[in-house]
This record gives sequence, C-alpha cells and structure tokens, in this order.
Amino acid sequence: MTDIFDIVTSATLYAAAIRLALPIFLAALGETFAERSGLVNVGLEGMMLMGAFGAVLGSDVTGSALAGVAIGLLFALLVAAVQGFVAINLGGDQIVCGIALNIGALGVTAFLVRAIWEGGNAPQVPGFSAFHFPILADAPFLGVAIFQQSIFVYVAFLLALISWWALMKTGWGLRMRGCGEDPLACESLGIPVKRLRWQAMLICGGCAGLGGVFLALGELLTFSDGMSGGRGFIALAVVIIARWSPMLAIPSALLFGAVEAFALRVQSSDLNVPPELMLALPYVATIVVYAIVVGRSNPPAALGRTYVRQ
Amino acid sequence: MNAASFIPALTRGAVALVGTLIVGLIAVLAAGLDPVTTLQAIIDGAVGTPYAIRQSLTEAVPVTLTALGVAVAFRAGLFNLGGEGQIYIGALGAVGTALLFPELPSVLLIPFALAVGTFGGLVWGAIAGVLRAKLRLSEIITTIMLNFIAFWIVSYLVHGPLKDPGGSGYPLTREITTSAQLPVFGDLVPSGAVLMLVAAFCVWLLLERTSTGIRIKGSGSSASASRFAGVSMSRVTILVMAVAGALAGLGGAVSLQGDQHQLGDFFSPGWGFDAVAVALIGRGTATGTFITGVAVGALRSGIQSAQGTAEVPSSIAQILLAAAVLFVIVGNAEGAGQMVRRSWSRTRGLASD
Repeated sequence: MTDIFDIVTSATLYAAAIRLALPIFLAALGETFAERSGLVNVGLEGMMLMGAFGAVLGSDVTGSALAGVAIGLLFALLVAAVQGFVAINLGGDQIVCGIALNIGALGVTAFLVRAIWEGGNAPQVPGFSAFHFPILADAPFLGVAIFQQSIFVYVAFLLALISWWALMKTGWGLRMRGCGEDPLACESLGIPVKRLRWQAMLICGGCAGLGGVFLALGELLTFSDGMSGGRGFIALAVVIIARWSPMLAIPSALLFGAVEAFALRVQSSDLNVPPELMLALPYVATIVVYAIVVGRSNPPAALGRTYVRQ
Repeated sequence: MNAASFIPALTRGAVALVGTLIVGLIAVLAAGLDPVTTLQAIIDGAVGTPYAIRQSLTEAVPVTLTALGVAVAFRAGLFNLGGEGQIYIGALGAVGTALLFPELPSVLLIPFALAVGTFGGLVWGAIAGVLRAKLRLSEIITTIMLNFIAFWIVSYLVHGPLKDPGGSGYPLTREITTSAQLPVFGDLVPSGAVLMLVAAFCVWLLLERTSTGIRIKGSGSSASASRFAGVSMSRVTILVMAVAGALAGLGGAVSLQGDQHQLGDFFSPGWGFDAVAVALIGRGTATGTFITGVAVGALRSGIQSAQGTAEVPSSIAQILLAAAVLFVIVGNAEGAGQMVRRSWSRTRGLASD
C-alpha cells in the first residue's frame, strides 16, 4: 500500500523531478538572456516544439541521436531568427510576434509530421539513455536521484554555471544587461545594442531548443503534436520567480519538476485520486508560486520596449 | 510615434494578404497537392452549397465570439490567450445546465444554459484579470495555465462523474435534449451566427460609442495618461478580462447547444488560439475581427470538407493564421517603415535620412 509518505521519500521521485524540471529550466535559462537584454520572448513554447520536432526528424533520418540534437537546435534557432528579426531589426511588437510563432510552430510541426511520416505519426527514434557516474551512481538515494540522469542534466548544470559567470561576471554580460536597462544610453556609449540582443536571442533559441530536444530524445523518443505542453509558458514564470538569475532558475524550475513528478507518482499509485486532476497540478502550482513571489520581482527596465535606432 | 503612417494601410493589407497566400501556396505544394484543385475544393467546401455555408457559419461562431473578446482585451493592452479554457468552461456550464433541467421549456432552457456558460467563461477570464490587477501577474502566463486547468477539469468530469453511462465508452457527456438545442433558421443560418452578429455589434458599441470604451482604449494606448485622468486601471483590467471570458464562454456554450450537443476532451480544435490570431489580424476592431473570424471559420470548414476530396491537412489553417499575424506586425513595425522609406529615397537618388 503506497501512501504519500512513501512517495515523497522515494529516490525515484527526486530523479523524476530533476528530469521533468530540465526542459523548463533550459527554456528559462534562454529566456533569462533574452529578457536581460531587453527582449521579451513569448515564443519559447514554439522554439521548444520546433526543437523537439527537429530532433526527432534528425534522429530518424540519420539514425544518430547526436545529429538529432543538431537538427533540433537548427529548427529552434530558425524560430529565434524570425523573432530576432521582427523584434530587433524591425522593431515589431515582441509579444504578438511570439504568439504568432507559437501558433505557427504548432501548425508547421503538425503539418510536417503528416507530410513526412507514413500514417501521420512520428516513429520511435534513437535517443539518449541515462549516464551512470562511476561509483557515485551506486550511492544510496543520491545515486538514483542525481547520478543516473541523462547526460542533458549535467550539460544543463554546466550551462547554468557558464551563464551565471558570463552574464554576471564579465564585461559582455554587463553590456548585455545594460541593453535591457537603457538601450539608448548603451548606444551612446558605443555598445552595439543590436548585436548583443541578437546574441541573446540566439542563445535563447538554442537553450529553449535544447529543452525541446531533451523532451524528444531524452524522454518520449518520439514527437506528438503540442508535446511541449505549456512548458514554455511555465518557463516564462520561472524566469520571473528566479528574478532573472540563471542560478536561481535551477531551484525555481526544480520546484515545478517536483510538482509534476509528485503528480505523476500519485497518478500511478493506488491512491484514489483522479489522474486528470493530478495533471492540472503543475499549472495550478505555477499560478500559486508566481503569485507568492512576483511582488518582490524587479524586471529589466527596458523589457519588451521597442527600440529602433533612429 | 505613429508607425502606421510609414506605409499606407491599403498597401500593408495587400502585402499581408499576398504574403499569406504565398505561404499557403508553399504549404499546399509541400503537401504534394495541386494548388488549383485544392483551392477549388476548399472554396466548394466553404461556400459551394447551402449546407457548406451553414457549416462555415457554425465553425465561425466560436472562433469569432472568442476573438471579439480577445479584441476587447487587446484594445486595453492585454493579451487573452485563455480563450481555449474559457470555451471549455463555457461549454461545461451549458452542458451542465442542459442536463440538470431537461424538462424546462425551450424558451427558458436555451437562454438559461447559454447564460450559465457565458457566466462560467466570465469567471474564468476574470480570474486572470484579478490576478493581473491585484497581484501584477502577467495575463500571458496565467491565461495559458488556466487553459490547462480548465481542460483537465473538463477531462476529469467527462471521464468520470459526467460520463454518459449508456455511451459507447468514449469520454463524452450525455447528449443534451432537443429542448436545449439552438435552432437553425431556414436550414441555413444557425442561431449562433445571429448571436455572433449581435455580439460583434455590442463590442463595436462598447469600444466606439461608450465612455467605458474610451477608458479601455485609453488604458491600452497610454496607461500613465489614463491613470492621470483618473481611470482605475485595475477596474478596466478586470472588466475587459471578464468580458473576454464571457464572450469565449458564450462561444463554447453556442458550439455545445448549436452543434456538438455533448462535451468531451476534444471539444475545441484550438479555437482559442485561432481567435488570438483573428483578433490581431482584425487589429482589435469589432468589424475587422468579425470579418476575419467569419473568413477563418469558412477556411476551417472548407479545409475540413476538402480533407475528404483532396487530403488537405487542417494544420494549414494554423500556418496561414501565423503567417498573416507576422505580416501584420511587420507592416506595423516602426523599423520596417524606416527600411521602406530608406529604400524609397535610395531608389529616387536622394540621401537617406
């Protein structure tokens, strides 16, 4: 007889929490760069979806999961390029553009799945299996929880460290954050606002795309319509909850991973809880946590404002 | 700065339309279809017969109603991405009412069920409005979360307590009685289409002929000026999100009572998101949104019936909508206007500014 206590003390729950937090975290990490440079990118969801689709396509065509990663990143960067061109070069409405790209990504992926694969369903493709750390993987509890994860988990952790260092400790990061606070002042100091914002947008596309790639090649090993399931929007909340910090994005994303993992475990246990209501839990949690934290947040001053050099 | 003055409106509209058609042509060719027969099949399926027209109108109603709500919010500077959830809650309210009071006469039951559905959507929209007004939560995030929450609540109900015990095992509610179903006038015009027209007129009145409309548009174009003029921003925010939710809820109720007659997991094929695109293409005006909404309904319905003859994927509609929105943003963008002006002056041999 399983009960709640058994669920919350099992190492597999924590392993699942990390796994489920990963795509949200990666997308949030990318968005942190974009927003720090002053760009609001609502198109995260579309980037994740295109990343996932490209990964499955690449992995299926070449038979290599690594090629899948490359194609997935390419697809997500394509979305980032459109968002970047409209937001940075044309000075178009960033939010509307992101919304359009989300709808477009949903349509394009659904279209391509039916155009490419027989029967209109994506096949099972080669993906990544878990990476076992020598010795550490056999440690009690922590072994299962942390040291038997997908290689993506460790890559993501490295990315978080690098991002924190780059954004907070280098001149490049300072200039990028400057673009998000006062682009006009930056421009007058000779800082290339356009170029820095393009870099931020492409980093954002790459990270969100990697999140989608992991969903596809680390989790499901196939593609299904709308498989990003609102994670791009949860990531938007995570950025705010983490106060635009790459490192704080880790615990913030983990929180949502934990909620989702808990919901899934309860669902598969013999506790008599309707599974559908458990599936709603991560979305309820997003609103609740967001509501608790948001009062103390302080976004970049120029966030989302159109800036075109006159 | 008035970005709209950079490129004449008519040119922008024409460019957006041509651009969207080119994207559609590419998609049709990529699907391995013949463009001419495909277009013919879609047009036939949309308006070719009286039945097709009726289907197109039926399909247009929920999208257009929801889009009108998105437009009202958009004019206040808010994005209602929650149409999908509001539609589900609206349909839930309608089906619940219809199943609880089947013995009521039609004259009472039809408006009663519509009203409960509308109210459900109103509440669902107002939640996001209150969260935005009182706690400063971005409605972009909360409306999406509320979509999923509404969907899973409905999914729970149709798999469990509301599931038709005599049904074929599919997660669907019982069918509502004929006393709750909306009539079709002359076998051609669904009564939902009349409601849609009335709603569009009311939204036009609200935005263009009332002081509330001035406050809504003012808070969208300049929040600080509106606040200075004594407009309560939080009241406007809650009001427009409630109106948006109510219209989407009505859309869900109308589709339930006028078309589907029962509620299930796949009640809405994505009307809530189509509606966002429709409102943006319609530039947030009642007329523009209404015309775009009816056109999108016809397109969706045309593609649906063409699927039988020419295997046209329904995702083409989404691609077209996304492309159209992108073209509209680009047309309105300040930077795009600058680029056009610069190349203009260059071709005329003048120095660029």
